[in-house]
Amino acid sequence: MRSTSEIQSLVNRRQKNKSLEAPFYNAAEILDLDIDVIFGKHWIFVAVDPELPEPGDCVTVEIGNASILILRGDDMELRAFHNVCRHRGARLIDERATTIGNIVCRYHGWSYNEDGELILAEHMGSGFDKSCHGLKTVHVRSIAGLIFICLAKDAPEDIEDLARTMEPYIAPHDIAHCKVAHSSELIEEGNWKLTMENNRECYHCEGNHPQLTVPLSEFGFGFSPDELDERRSGDVKKYLESVARDHQRWESCGLPSAEEDHLANVTGFRTMRLPLSWEGESHTLDTKVASKKLLGSFTDAKLGGLSFWTHPNSWHHFMSDHIVTFSVLPLAPNRTLVRTTWLVHKDAIENQDYTLDNLTQVWTMTNLQDAMLVRLAQLGSEQPAYEPGPYSTFTEPHVEAFCDWYIKRLQNHFAETKAELAAE
Amino acid sequence: MADEKLTEVTRVPLWDPEQDDVLVCRQVRQETHDVKTFVFSGREPRAFRFYPGQYMTFDLPVEGMVTRCYTISASAARPYRVEITVKRVPGGPGSNWLHDYMVPGKEVNVSGPGGEFTADATGEDKLLFLSAGSGITPMMSMTRTACDLSEPSDLHFVHAARSPADIIFRDELALLATQNPSLKLAFTCETASANHSWSGYTGRLSLQMLSLMSPDFLERKIFCCGPALFMEGVRNMLQQAGFNMEKYYEESFDFGAETAGDLEEYASVAPEISDQTFRVSFPKTGHVVECGPGMTVLSAAREAGLLPVSSCQRGICGTCKSKLISGQVDMQHGGGIRQREIDQGKILICCSTPLSDIEVEI
Repeated sequence: MRSTSEIQSLVNRRQKNKSLEAPFYNAAEILDLDIDVIFGKHWIFVAVDPELPEPGDCVTVEIGNASILILRGDDMELRAFHNVCRHRGARLIDERATTIGNIVCRYHGWSYNEDGELILAEHMGSGFDKSCHGLKTVHVRSIAGLIFICLAKDAPEDIEDLARTMEPYIAPHDIAHCKVAHSSELIEEGNWKLTMENNRECYHCEGNHPQLTVPLSEFGFGFSPDELDERRSGDVKKYLESVARDHQRWESCGLPSAEEDHLANVTGFRTMRLPLSWEGESHTLDTKVASKKLLGSFTDAKLGGLSFWTHPNSWHHFMSDHIVTFSVLPLAPNRTLVRTTWLVHKDAIENQDYTLDNLTQVWTMTNLQDAMLVRLAQLGSEQPAYEPGPYSTFTEPHVEAFCDWYIKRLQNHFAETKAELAAE
Repeated sequence: MADEKLTEVTRVPLWDPEQDDVLVCRQVRQETHDVKTFVFSGREPRAFRFYPGQYMTFDLPVEGMVTRCYTISASAARPYRVEITVKRVPGGPGSNWLHDYMVPGKEVNVSGPGGEFTADATGEDKLLFLSAGSGITPMMSMTRTACDLSEPSDLHFVHAARSPADIIFRDELALLATQNPSLKLAFTCETASANHSWSGYTGRLSLQMLSLMSPDFLERKIFCCGPALFMEGVRNMLQQAGFNMEKYYEESFDFGAETAGDLEEYASVAPEISDQTFRVSFPKTGHVVECGPGMTVLSAAREAGLLPVSSCQRGICGTCKSKLISGQVDMQHGGGIRQREIDQGKILICCSTPLSDIEVEI
């Protein structure tokens, strides 16, 4: 069992541009700290608006031991509460997604309205004060249809920076008028940070993602210019040309496309609209749209793929015809849930405007391939010979950005804890 | 020994309101489609001493706890058990709770008896009892007591009901009248119904009708109990007839003026307007039941012998959500159902009353 000071020294001696020391990937007490400090105090991406399209729709999400229920009220606003009855603590909603009137505990019938106020608790006597037993609230924020929650009492305020920057990028894809075409839950046998690190580079793409790299250029996430053979030089040149050309075209029709890198923020994020190869329409094997019904008011299918990452737990791809979102939630030091959701226009009809197979196959395959890589990385971190290795400054700067952010958040936590102790 | 002077062969201790506070339900009787009698005794044998016409105050575990007063309908001359006779009231949490949950073996906290509304029907006064609806209960207690003790001296018992099917204690009153020539009965029903033949008076109680029912009513001491509108009508009628109102006594089920009573429950009793019943069908099980005015679909299902799952009984929890296959209901829910579910034909049966014949999937 590592003490707090041991963890603190692991944090402090972390070397920049190198992978983390093994305990960060496999120690239970560090996962506990991650759940408390990272997942308990930052904005966590958990769902999309179309999962709760109507009043009374409700989804639940588990972050560590906390179960949170998110409910859309009659005023169409979202509310989030701890999914715990104030009577004897029974879980209120046991389904991942459901529709409810009031929030009712099936154990003894305690009932809460959509604002979390206790409105019915029988047999508690006339002296019982219902107003003291409302549900505990959780911060919730939908950013152009992407739902984030924060378990902290005081949520990081720079979510506003993210909202201000990202809404113009995301809004044209009109999540509000999408529906969930498919969702999947994949458990990767690795630490959540390995899942995130793997996502933040495409160094591994060419050797592992034959489907993903049909539409998506591995060069969209960095490369070493000195080591390119003739084929790759040609590809890079083409890619860079397409970035310049496409960005100009997209920007001119009101689609922000330029890179925005705010990965060092407390609520860290990065975005860029990436050109896609071949037909350039979507993340499909033929790179054409998977759904005939384009999103929002799009008339042009060739809008590339808007890539959007957030710390600590999400990435997203917005195309002209569909959206794929990914939410990463730790389950154990070596187990991580990756929840993937595919959205299409709400009026798109399955097997007429799209087929699930064509819509989902690129990311279904890619997720499985990534899960295997994360598992190998996890196994490696548990070997005695493992030691932190160097990141490529060309292809892995965003992995470094993620680890740097993570380490800084822990440092900040220890500094705050120390300040609190000193103040007592 | 003082004990030897007791006529009380059973030597059962008296119910002492200062000491005793728990009644145990011993029997439940269905009097009419929406009226039940609940028979109680103490946990240990107790003899109750009360004046016929008095009520007891019940603590019912509804909405935390509600307090309701119910008149004892039993004979004061049968002291070992007390009975209350309660009509199911739409939106009346107390009466609905009793109807739905009070079963033999169940215990309830009470206080009393209390109340001043009583008459000795064995005395010399000529009496006229005027009651409507469940206002019959104190009159019944007085009448039963008088019949048990000897015989009423001269008692006219007039009762107004919505329909023949709503006359509470009809058979027992007929039997008592057979056995006690000094007891005269008269009933009037606002409307006759298709299901019951009716040869008695029809329509609201009027002076003309009263003169036929009890020709010497001006010479009688009058006790009146029923809905406020009924009693108001009786007062006007009597004043119009030049009745000496010093001989007029009335009991309101709105005990609010005197004790901790329930205005709301009373208020919803008052407009006894219709005897219309609707057919409630449950096609899944084949049950069909006639649902009286104000009766919820849940109550109708229970009447039919079904036990649909339900919890809060007032449209908050959504446990009893069911599909309305056909017909219309009036649903007064408390947030346990969303508009989109209502649009899909769902109802909460605990807070829905039929507005037509209906079919419900439970």
